[in-house]
Amino acid sequence: MGGEVTTQRPRLAYVGPDFHAEQHVHPDPDSFLRRWVFSLDHKVIAKQFLWMGLAFLAIGGTMAMMIRWQLGHPGTAFPVLGELVWPQSGGVMPPQAYSSFFTMHGTIMIFFAITPILIGAFGNFCIPLLIGARDMAFPTLNMLSFWTMFLSSAILVGSFFVPGGSASGGWVSYPTLSTLIGQPAPGQTLWIVAIFLAGSSSIMGAVNYITTVIRLRAPGMGYFDMPLTVWGLWLTAILNALFVPVIAAGMLLLFLDRTFGSHFFVAGMSVTKGGGDPILYQHLFWIFGHPEVYILILPAWGVVSDVLSFFSRKPAFGYKATALSMTAITVLSAVVYGHHMFVVGMSPLLSESFMTLTMLISMPSAVFFLNWLGTMWRGSIRFATPMLFSMGVVFVFGLGGLTGLHLGSIGTDVYLHDSYFVVGHFHLTMAASVLLGAFSAIYFWFPKLFGKMMNETLGKLHFWLTIVPIVLVFGGQLVIGYAGMQRRLYNLDSYTFLQHLQPLNLFITRAALFLGASQFLFVANFLSSLISGQKASENPWEVGTLEWTVPSPPPHHNFDEIPLVLHGPHEFSHPGVKGKDWLAQNEPLDSEPAALGAAGS
Amino acid sequence: MSQESPLHRLVRRGTSRTARGLAFALPLLMAAAAAAGPSSPYAPPADVSTNGHRVTWLFWYTTWLGVIAFTLVCASLVFIVVRYRARAGHRAVYDKGTDRRSLIVTGSLALLVFLSIDLVLVHRSRADIEEYLFKWPTDPKTVRIEVMPQQWAWNFRYAGADGVFNTADDVVTLNELRIPKGRPVFLNLKAKDVIHSFYVPNFRIKQDANPGHVTRMWFQATETGSMEIACSQLCGWAHYKMKADLTVLEDGDFERWYAEAQGDAQRRFDPADTEAQWGWEWVAK
Amino acid sequence: MAGMAVTRLPRREESRRTSFVGMTMALGSWTMLFVSLFFSYAVLRLRAEEWPPDGLAPLPRLLPFLNTLVLVASSAVLYAGLRAAAAGKPGALLSTLKRTLALGSLFLALQLAVWVPLWRAGFRIDNTGAYGSIFYGLTVFHALHVLAGLVALLVLVPGAAKGRWVSGAQSPVRLTAMFWHFVDAVWLLMFVTIYLL
Ligand code: HEA
Ligand code: HEA
Ligand code: CUA
Ligand SMILES: [Cu+2]
Repeated sequence: MGGEVTTQRPRLAYVGPDFHAEQHVHPDPDSFLRRWVFSLDHKVIAKQFLWMGLAFLAIGGTMAMMIRWQLGHPGTAFPVLGELVWPQSGGVMPPQAYSSFFTMHGTIMIFFAITPILIGAFGNFCIPLLIGARDMAFPTLNMLSFWTMFLSSAILVGSFFVPGGSASGGWVSYPTLSTLIGQPAPGQTLWIVAIFLAGSSSIMGAVNYITTVIRLRAPGMGYFDMPLTVWGLWLTAILNALFVPVIAAGMLLLFLDRTFGSHFFVAGMSVTKGGGDPILYQHLFWIFGHPEVYILILPAWGVVSDVLSFFSRKPAFGYKATALSMTAITVLSAVVYGHHMFVVGMSPLLSESFMTLTMLISMPSAVFFLNWLGTMWRGSIRFATPMLFSMGVVFVFGLGGLTGLHLGSIGTDVYLHDSYFVVGHFHLTMAASVLLGAFSAIYFWFPKLFGKMMNETLGKLHFWLTIVPIVLVFGGQLVIGYAGMQRRLYNLDSYTFLQHLQPLNLFITRAALFLGASQFLFVANFLSSLISGQKASENPWEVGTLEWTVPSPPPHHNFDEIPLVLHGPHEFSHPGVKGKDWLAQNEPLDSEPAALGAAGS
Repeated sequence: MSQESPLHRLVRRGTSRTARGLAFALPLLMAAAAAAGPSSPYAPPADVSTNGHRVTWLFWYTTWLGVIAFTLVCASLVFIVVRYRARAGHRAVYDKGTDRRSLIVTGSLALLVFLSIDLVLVHRSRADIEEYLFKWPTDPKTVRIEVMPQQWAWNFRYAGADGVFNTADDVVTLNELRIPKGRPVFLNLKAKDVIHSFYVPNFRIKQDANPGHVTRMWFQATETGSMEIACSQLCGWAHYKMKADLTVLEDGDFERWYAEAQGDAQRRFDPADTEAQWGWEWVAK
Repeated sequence: MAGMAVTRLPRREESRRTSFVGMTMALGSWTMLFVSLFFSYAVLRLRAEEWPPDGLAPLPRLLPFLNTLVLVASSAVLYAGLRAAAAGKPGALLSTLKRTLALGSLFLALQLAVWVPLWRAGFRIDNTGAYGSIFYGLTVFHALHVLAGLVALLVLVPGAAKGRWVSGAQSPVRLTAMFWHFVDAVWLLMFVTIYLL
């Protein structure tokens, strides 16, 4: 840090003919509503998404704790909350409630916690700032996207309170369990509406993100000069735009089945005239559902790839290879969805091709995974909190990814399907990799978001008290899954072959409660730093991407002048730079005449 | 960097802890793998089927290769943390990993993963599909049974002497399946209301039963005894207790019971009770 | 670095292109929505032994066919009109919008003329299995898009009358036209799959 200020070279701004209609400097909005509620500013919308996501993370996490409690201490009341939620059963979670709880836990975590945080908040905050734009391409659409999401979440929360309770058919809500045959209560219908709205919001966001990246990159910034974070968010947006409509169609048809008595998915004894096909829904769901899991993790991959380079003070290893393998995975993710349906009764031919394609994904995954290691290799690593969380992702994603291989091969999936092995796999990928990635992003951009530093000591403590239990919880689920325990079980009482697993369940539950408790370190750190955190300088982490060339927090219009980009995002320890080990993307090298700035004019 | 920044100092203190933390992760991982091993208290129920060993083999092949790959990952993480931590006088190398050497190393390691893990898995699973999962039994001694799960019970139907389903001599049982040892058992499954899944941990296999169309599965028991059939697909609030008993009998005992049961069935048969005639035309191919 | 030589166009042209890219993405997304619906149609139909199943009567063809001509005509009118407007023909835009609106509304009217008798005859969405479900599901959902298109066109009329909108080169006009042609194209596919195949 020491020499930083003195060695500042003038940053280059774009001085060509005027461009970007939407790039003129807006005056700051004055009315409270315009500024904080119906704001068009991508930074404010980002914070709205962040608060919403964190709130739902807390809700979904609390539900997870109650799920774990029921599995660890079956038939006993969940401390404190239990009595409030289920007074009639003396605080004990009834079986119906259990189904609706894991259903809503999954739904909330995926669509209302992780999506708003990584895509809603950091998509909005990072994309314009990191590519040197003054806002999104379509600010109004951006605002609309948030309020649609807000409405959706209100409906979802409301569904808890309607007669018959919330949806309880699993987060996948397969028919015919999710049709009137299996679930006459209105909660399921509200769930469908909520998912449909959340999807619409995602699509609006996606269209906006894709266009912004294509059209509003600062002059000089080619696609391969973008931070990998932007790559991840961009690919995610593309997947969203292409595959969310598929689930939207599924929701539409399911809605018709429930409210207008149509027969798209309804079949079985109750149906007389040419019934529909419940399996059709599974195709629609997973054509979306598999891309969805990459929708969740691509932003995390991007953030991790950048953070590893930033704190290793070393350029990202094989930047292009990483970007391209992420792209390859994006493409492949469209054609592997059948691996969720191996035991549904698909034709062997289909199953085989889905299996082979699934296996292909591990190649590009291995490539960027090894690039992560290569980035840290021969670096000079600063173990700040964001770095710890990103290294944590490398660790847990290795586990989560490799367990995907067990599930990818039909030979083992016929045994592991719908067992806790699957639960362990997808928590290691989502609840571990994606969640830690999200934490890494929060710790890293907090200074830029709020102009305050988060407490490093608390942050490090949060990391260690999270990574350890997270591995125990979801590792334990892998073990108990291979031991034969099915998912979505209220308790083990009915099955003799599961009895000896209760101690292991108790262990997992204790680890989970530990995990939940350590999250209060984060809450405390987050809130206290917000109020009384140490003031953040313009560039506390000493990195060169564009958002760190403007004040923290950035002004309403982000950049006084649109920057002129000269370098990639990871110019660390460049031999040509003296006095410091980093270079801003729009900062000329000693060797480069500042005159370059004139380029384009 | 010549003089040390406050960030660095913070960092140095973190370092040794980081290294230790990562190092301790390794045995933990091994432990987890071992915890599932055959000798452990958390091993799956005994495999008493002719084909369950395929699952076991493939599972452990994948697991151990995964452990090896992951051990390499952890080892390099630990090494990196210790060797390349920021400290006074240490500077990162300006290397973008785009030279031919790095490309070759990454590429070949990825290829190694693909060849050693993916291809083997695909190959073995192909074999499972062709030699087992979809190789419907043709043995004349095959026992054919129709299974109709409903919320929340298992209905089983044996064709009886005439070998035709939905006739007077059909043996129909509820939540209790009896099969002979050493003979292939061929099931047709079709759900009554919602999707269920027929899961026998001791046979290492499961198959969904859907409303509206028939799915098939087969297995062969290698030992007698009583086991459990579990429902492994969410089918409503009582999913967790949708269990049936599976009894594997010596062939002789089975035939004795079967003959007897057909007698009872014929006596009890009531053509007016259409509800009870839920059977369907057997689907073999 | 890449693209150092920066050449930029005037503001209006820049934003015109941005909104064009955005609309293209949106329509791409929308295409996937209808692709999924057609996929559902295909799956349901391939699973049924006979089509129409259970001795249900086949759908009428004449009216839907005429209706297809109407919608195609509306697209043609819109296209030609915008060409004329671009060529600077005074008032061309306004009259084009009006004609398109008329044809679009006629399409909806004829759709009703198809649905109502069927429904009256007892061919309802809830008693005809997958066959009726997919028929009503797809056609009604499409009709709602036509309605949305009509509203969008209607919104342009005052501006066109006041001379605020004069040519299809202006984003609002251009994007509305894109949407209208898209809805039209979807209908062509729908007519062929549902009525002819
Ligand atoms: C972010 C989320 C995420 C991610 C990234 C993944 C990644 C993968 N998943 Fe996962 N998956 C889910 C989320 C995710 N999954 C969810 C939510 C479900 C369940 C849904 C439900 O049923 O409720 C699921 C279920 C699921 C199934 C269905 C199981 C079943 O229901 O029976 C399958 C089957 O193939 C599968 C496979 C894979 C594979 C092959 C990958 C691959 O992408 C993994 C690739 C990564 C690696 C291979 C590891 C990294 C590489 C290395 C470590 C390098 C090797 C080392 C050296 C070279 C030294 N997943
Ligand atoms: C990204 C998605 C995600 C995440 C993060 C999690 C997180 C967790 N999940 Fe979840 N889970 C799913 C997605 C997720 N899960 C899905 C899709 C299912 C399948 C549902 C189905 O079967 O249909 C599932 C199912 C599922 C089950 C299986 C239920 C069953 O099959 O019977 C279990 C059981 O242990 C479980 C446990 C946990 C635990 C202990 C966590 C822990 O990691 C939780 C720890 C986190 C917290 C305790 C929250 C911390 C709070 C904050 C940080 C608040 C900050 C707030 C402010 C600052 C205001 N989950
Ligand atoms: Cu039947 Cu679960
Ligand atoms: Cu998948």
